[in-house]
Amino acid sequence: MTAEPTRRDVLKAQAAAIAAAAAGIALPASAQPVPGGVSALEIKWSKAPCRFCGTGCGVMVGVKDGQVVATHGDMQAEVNRGLNCIKGYFLSKIMYGEDRLTTPLMRKRNGVFDKEGDFEPVSWDEAFDVMADKCKQVLRDKGPTAIGMFGSGQWTIFEGYAATKLMRAGFRSNNLDPNARHCMASAATAFIRAFGSDEPMGCYDDFEHADAFVLWGSNMAEMHPILWTRVADRRLGNPHVRCAVLSTFTHRSMDLTDIPIIFKPGTDLAILNYIANHIIQTGRVNERFINDHTTFMRGVVDIGYGLRTEHELEINATGASDPGRMEPIDFETFKQFVSNYTLEMAAELSGADPGFLEELAELYADPAKKVMSLWTMGFNQHVRGVWANHMVYNIHLLTGKISEPGNSPFSLTGQPSACGTAREVGTFAHRLPADLVVTNPEHRHHAEEIWGLPEGLLPDQPGYHAVQQDRMLRDGLLNFYWIQVNNNLQAAPNNSQETYPGYRNPDNFIVVSDAYPTVTAMAADVILPAAMWVEKEGAYGNAERRTHVWHQLVQAPGEARSDLWQLAEFSKRFTTDEVWPEDMLSANPDYRGRTLFDILFRNGKVDRFPLDELDPEYANNEATEFGFYIQKGLFEEYAEFGRGHGHDLAPYDRYHQERGLRWPVVDGQETRWRYREGHDPYVKPGEGVKFYGRPDGRAVILAVPYEPPAESPDDEYDLWLVTGRVLEHWHSGSMTMRVPELYRAFPGAVCFMNADDARRKGLNQGMEVRVVSRRGEIRSRIETQGRNRMPRGVVFVPWFDASQLINKVTLDATDPISKQTDFKKCAVKIERLA
Amino acid sequence: MLGRIKRVVRWAWSLVSTPAATLSLGFLTLGGFLGGVIFWGAFNTALEITNTEAFCISCHEMETNVYEELTRTIHFANRSGVRASCPDCHVPHEWTDKIARKMQASKEVWGKIFGTISTRRKFLDKRLELAQHEWARLKANDSLECRNCHSSVAMDLSRQTARAAEIHTRYLLSGEATCIDCHKGIAHELPNMEGIDPGWQVPPDLRGEQLPQSSELDALQNWVLLAGQKANRFPEMELPAAGATSE
Amino acid sequence: MRGEDRTSRLSARQKYALAALLSILVTGSAALAQMSAVPELSGANPPMDNVAADPIPRWVTDDVRKMRAYPEQPPVIPHSIQGYQLSVNTNRCLSCHKREFTQGSGAPMISVTHYMNRDGQMLADVSPRRYFCTACHVPQADTAPLVDNVFKDMIELGVEHAGDE
Repeated sequence: MTAEPTRRDVLKAQAAAIAAAAAGIALPASAQPVPGGVSALEIKWSKAPCRFCGTGCGVMVGVKDGQVVATHGDMQAEVNRGLNCIKGYFLSKIMYGEDRLTTPLMRKRNGVFDKEGDFEPVSWDEAFDVMADKCKQVLRDKGPTAIGMFGSGQWTIFEGYAATKLMRAGFRSNNLDPNARHCMASAATAFIRAFGSDEPMGCYDDFEHADAFVLWGSNMAEMHPILWTRVADRRLGNPHVRCAVLSTFTHRSMDLTDIPIIFKPGTDLAILNYIANHIIQTGRVNERFINDHTTFMRGVVDIGYGLRTEHELEINATGASDPGRMEPIDFETFKQFVSNYTLEMAAELSGADPGFLEELAELYADPAKKVMSLWTMGFNQHVRGVWANHMVYNIHLLTGKISEPGNSPFSLTGQPSACGTAREVGTFAHRLPADLVVTNPEHRHHAEEIWGLPEGLLPDQPGYHAVQQDRMLRDGLLNFYWIQVNNNLQAAPNNSQETYPGYRNPDNFIVVSDAYPTVTAMAADVILPAAMWVEKEGAYGNAERRTHVWHQLVQAPGEARSDLWQLAEFSKRFTTDEVWPEDMLSANPDYRGRTLFDILFRNGKVDRFPLDELDPEYANNEATEFGFYIQKGLFEEYAEFGRGHGHDLAPYDRYHQERGLRWPVVDGQETRWRYREGHDPYVKPGEGVKFYGRPDGRAVILAVPYEPPAESPDDEYDLWLVTGRVLEHWHSGSMTMRVPELYRAFPGAVCFMNADDARRKGLNQGMEVRVVSRRGEIRSRIETQGRNRMPRGVVFVPWFDASQLINKVTLDATDPISKQTDFKKCAVKIERLA
Repeated sequence: MLGRIKRVVRWAWSLVSTPAATLSLGFLTLGGFLGGVIFWGAFNTALEITNTEAFCISCHEMETNVYEELTRTIHFANRSGVRASCPDCHVPHEWTDKIARKMQASKEVWGKIFGTISTRRKFLDKRLELAQHEWARLKANDSLECRNCHSSVAMDLSRQTARAAEIHTRYLLSGEATCIDCHKGIAHELPNMEGIDPGWQVPPDLRGEQLPQSSELDALQNWVLLAGQKANRFPEMELPAAGATSE
Repeated sequence: MRGEDRTSRLSARQKYALAALLSILVTGSAALAQMSAVPELSGANPPMDNVAADPIPRWVTDDVRKMRAYPEQPPVIPHSIQGYQLSVNTNRCLSCHKREFTQGSGAPMISVTHYMNRDGQMLADVSPRRYFCTACHVPQADTAPLVDNVFKDMIELGVEHAGDE
């Protein structure tokens, strides 16, 4: 960061030049050949994190005349050092789709709200009035458990934090879940179970230190392209470096691989246990490490598939009632447990080449090789996702290859603030900020103290998780529902049976805040136009614990407002008398009659930073409107949860100067490797390694078996369906499909299929087909020559295309422990159009 | 399997090495002739069976490696539905060349028996060598198997992209390069290409030389085309120096 | 959401126009004003219905360089890259766009920025971190944008040309 002042000086100089021009001061003569003077060419450059994936690249955003006119990779951003992927380079255009939502819309008939009416423009006041009426009525009739909100790993930290306060402390409902449930829940759950603290111990610096990279169910070449540049740099620049990729089909990441492994869906569990067995059988266990720093456990088995409880798979599952239970065992028992997973068994079950499996196992077993394991949705969107995460930690812990440069089990994230907002802020249905949980009385009490709430106010039951919210909407038990910053009707599994009916259930009132008219917005009752990305001040947290803040750089179009403004403004319409129980108010009369805005935001903490602390070079609509620096206030209050508890954040203002900092930030220093003496300030001298998140300071090595997926192909539905993303589009495509260059690069979803399979079924390349499951179907086109090279029996359909809602076909099975959906395994058939 | 072959060979040898004692010369002559016809038919039939894709991919080495890769390419699925199968590219069509290639192929049977490429890793390790054999063969016969379908003179340049038409005119039609020079990896994945120049770049020692034409007819047609171009019938097409000097 | 209705878009537009026309006749201009303010939330109706999948479009292969929307934009590829191998073994893109080959191939040279490594040092050849070209450079299908984009070129903004005043 030594070059930091230079950049700032440049920015200041630019600002001065603009100011000088505005004031009519003559510019130096050298500028004269340019019409209007050189200042007319100047662009105001500011830093921001990218809006898309969890990599968290730094970008420089160029603004001219109130418009974003260019973006490029930030040379000073440690993550990407000047690079961007194709999506990042086109950030300049994501806010300028012609169909931006610019005014609130409500379904109306004869001038009043009507669920069956058509959308009509309304004022913010009218929209909020109707919303508040509906919300209060549901609260009166059914209580807080009928109120719910679905948020996002794309929320800024302030927005997620405001939402968690509004829902839990305001409405007293834990029915708040982020779309990160579909994305990172398995990883987050396994982190807590194995290490007692969420998020990776390592960081991106591991890329430059590792001798081998192993991708478990991750196509980084397309989904994390900039991290892939760091892998490519290391692999291609250093001949000894090896790269192994495991997947259920061949994709672009395989193009850099030395050990390509294609396995049958779900059998990665057997491969993982085989590697543990191989390490033990060949005598390469790091015994000192496991004796000093680990503890062995066994998990409950036959835990079901997270389907509706009346499903026969759930009724028959013996371990479904308490799927997360673990009991202590010793090393010998663990050794015995994994000894069944021989090379022959793993190869037979997975269909993978035994030679490659052995080469892979040797990468881990060889004490001289530093290994970085990387995974995303292949592991997390898995009916045994928590187990898969545990199993990879098992391997790293058995060999002691953890928490040091280059030795790193690393869970990548899919959204820009899956870590920062969904996990750290605690917007999951069972969580509070900084790894606290709603079921722990001490944790609730701590939150009540920081938030200045009456004791016992916070609800103690976990709320509905994402898939459960959809089921409860359909069943009419969740009736007021607000969706922000995501397109869940396109993203949710089995959406035509389990999601859409709930949105259109006459008992329910659905609000969607978005920047564009998505499928979800279209199915709502009220649509609120949202400001996005640099149209507001924001903060994201990426996969390596890096918190990155940006300024508001431009104004949102029309009446679009940030999600933060929407949440805070809506809270003004409720008083404690309307939402809190009478006994709570009579015991704490000081709280009577106050608005939720006063309780949550004008509470003496959030509102303590006056407007003169704003940077005069940048606008800040929310602060100006509310009269205090609300983002800073929220951040500083939130930071209280983590400071001194291993989640320390720097003072807010510093983040405006830095290209992000990796927490814990102690004494101004970020932490790159947690749990390791010399790197992590929480590990005391002499301790070496300490997994201090757990009371015994030891990480868990867990014995769990291979168990089959919820649904496998049979005679009728004879193919596996895998869903996912493509490089050029991000998630549901609501932003990238509106950038013409990105749209043209991948204009519509296709059904990637094995060419021989297609020929035997009489399907032509490019032919229109029906992709059919027991739940629903879509129409798509056969692609046998594309970037994804499918093995026999497996098809892949990306989900970005609103005209091919592949989630009508997917199964709403989840990991029973993390409640994360398995979007990677269900059975389909492909048919020609009749 | 090997034992059975040995037994059959021993039986056949004992049969032919014993002199005939009771048969007439006429019968032997006629019988020999008929036997010859039957043998010839059977030989050719057997040869033809080995010349099918089904035979090639009956070995899993071929099916899981090279065939799998072929199915993702334009030689497996394309606009007109004309597709190339393994022997179309890897077995010469002329009888003498075919027999020569089949004799070479006996080495591949050896490889199969001893598992030279029985795993993907072994195949990947050997891919460069295997590919180089095919490149050398196709270079030496001026991409004969390509030209069985793709006659260079039958290319409609106006239906090619401008870039392809220009490169074909400059290198292929001039005889400076042959198909395989540029189209390596057209039907299979490539080995490590480190140190191997791009196909369109003719090695310095070959520059200015012309490759042998694949067939007399193609050569004649080429000559007509070049003559036509010289007569300015296609004035927009600029002939490179190498092609122009080598009629 | 427009994706729902891609193939029948034109007809949907026409229906809208007709509806607008009718509403003008029936209820006057207020209805028109209201209609234009509501973004097009078109699509399959009901939204979970199936719509036909558009044919896979062809790539633009005219080799005509396309103007960048801003100087920092990675240029798009004006030709098809179907069947191009880009792996640890081989890089078809570099075989024409690498500096040493551009004279013979006539292809544009890879930008000088690609020679810089992670530490900002210029190398003798393309940096390995830039090896996978398709992370930034993509071909373009020959199809109209799904939704128009109102992004403004920086050169149209804030510049007063001589004589403007």
